[in-house]
Amino acid sequence: MCLPYRRATQIFVFCLMFAVPILNIYELYFITGTFFAINFGGLGVADPSVILQAIFAAGDITIPVLASVIFPLFIAILLGRFWCGWLCPFLFVSEGVEWLRNLIGQKFFKKPSSYVPIRNSFKANVIRFSFLLLGCATAGAIGIPVLNYINAPAIMSTEAMIIVKERVLSLEFGFIIALLVIQFSVLPKIWCRAFCPTGSVLSLFRTSITMRVTSSSRNPTVPCCKEESCVRVCPMGLEPYRECGNLLCVNCGKCVDSCLFNRLKFSGFEIKRRAEKM
Amino acid sequence: MIHGLFDFFRKILVDRRNPFISDYEINRLRPPGAVEEQKFMALCIRCNRCMEVCPYGSIKRAGLGATIGTPHVFPQDKACYLCMACCRLCPTGALDKDLKDPSKVKMGKAKIEPSICYSHLFLEHDVIPDESLEKIGALCNTCYNVCPLRDKAIILKDNLYPVILDDCVGCGICVERCPTRPKRAINVIPAGMGRVDEAGFYFRKARTHFDSSRSKEPSSSQQPLSGESLLEQKYNIDSSGKTPKFDFPYEQPKVKGDWD
Repeated sequence: MCLPYRRATQIFVFCLMFAVPILNIYELYFITGTFFAINFGGLGVADPSVILQAIFAAGDITIPVLASVIFPLFIAILLGRFWCGWLCPFLFVSEGVEWLRNLIGQKFFKKPSSYVPIRNSFKANVIRFSFLLLGCATAGAIGIPVLNYINAPAIMSTEAMIIVKERVLSLEFGFIIALLVIQFSVLPKIWCRAFCPTGSVLSLFRTSITMRVTSSSRNPTVPCCKEESCVRVCPMGLEPYRECGNLLCVNCGKCVDSCLFNRLKFSGFEIKRRAEKM
Repeated sequence: MIHGLFDFFRKILVDRRNPFISDYEINRLRPPGAVEEQKFMALCIRCNRCMEVCPYGSIKRAGLGATIGTPHVFPQDKACYLCMACCRLCPTGALDKDLKDPSKVKMGKAKIEPSICYSHLFLEHDVIPDESLEKIGALCNTCYNVCPLRDKAIILKDNLYPVILDDCVGCGICVERCPTRPKRAINVIPAGMGRVDEAGFYFRKARTHFDSSRSKEPSSSQQPLSGESLLEQKYNIDSSGKTPKFDFPYEQPKVKGDWD
């Protein structure tokens, strides 16, 4: 059920990257900016990881800086990593790469389609949070927001802007290409699973009311069906039958759709439900 | 390689500045309302919003290096026309949000090269007409005519030649329109960059002796301390009791040029 809507929003965001500079060329400034920071008719929205970098690098916190992260954090508290699963252009492209890998590379790579380099999701979480901490520490030490140089979705939108406006590509485009090649050949899903700073910051804002996938399986340590349908489809390389509420989950809903026994469901807003019961 | 490493640590330890932030360059400015360079590099999140909103296409994206992705204005290609659209869009305050008055911008300050400027050349040479100066034989004054802050930032001294005043905001329109090629007769020096012509007496004195010590051939193996090596030794003075040795190669500093 989720997939067509998700593809629609992903394609919309992907087109928006190219549409914004075109609109700006025709002097329509309703939406300006890139995915580092974007402005919808006065509502300023910035990537929280980018803002975190700026705070560390500049060494002080100002009100405009904090105001720009209110909206994304509000979304993150309500819907979890909605940005990652439903909007992020990099996940869209890397899912395409994943599809291509499964389509033509199955015999070539001799790895099952559910193969991920760091199987243990706890390890992946530790790696990405320490990567974020390291980036923040470096930014504070040298006074430059260093993780901005490798912020994949934001770089993609910046490149789209440069292509439309100046008809050139910059060096950072090579980083995206290298990342996609690596994900295609040896380490599938590595960026979103183990490095992406934006995803790390967004998953820090998981609260008890945040929407998430829950399992009603009786014995969650054993896969329900021998096909392991949820493991095969998960874009983050999780095993949803036992770790469906993991911090890595992007709420894409693929496992909910694929479950043969309808044991996986979205749930959230638990405070409201508790109030109803009382 | 070793020299580069030495330079890197020298920047941190001696000059006390960030080695990752590149140096200033003439005719390379930050957009209007930018905070000082170190803070700008920390606050700018490379969102390129200022680039998108600029109606003149003045703001360019910086290429390779630590500044990659940050905005620059190159007045030789396209100057800033002080519409102040970029300032109010900056999400982090790297550009001052409350700045609306174009005359309060401080991007830099223009500087005229009298040896290239047509007006200055005409003023110097009109007594002795020269065939090679036939093309120049006019009062150009383009910079005066295009300046958005005319008679405040730039004046025509004696109605003959342009002179830059302290109110210059460094928008660079004069640089864009200056007719001399390939070098422009007027250039903008970005805010924060040191200016020799506006520096104090001791800076210029040190600079002069540094230049003169460089121009001399190293005649003896015992090169006397002078210029920057002297400054370096002065930095190393501490209170541990060691008395540093100083050789003064000159009895009386000669007054050179126009500085006194």
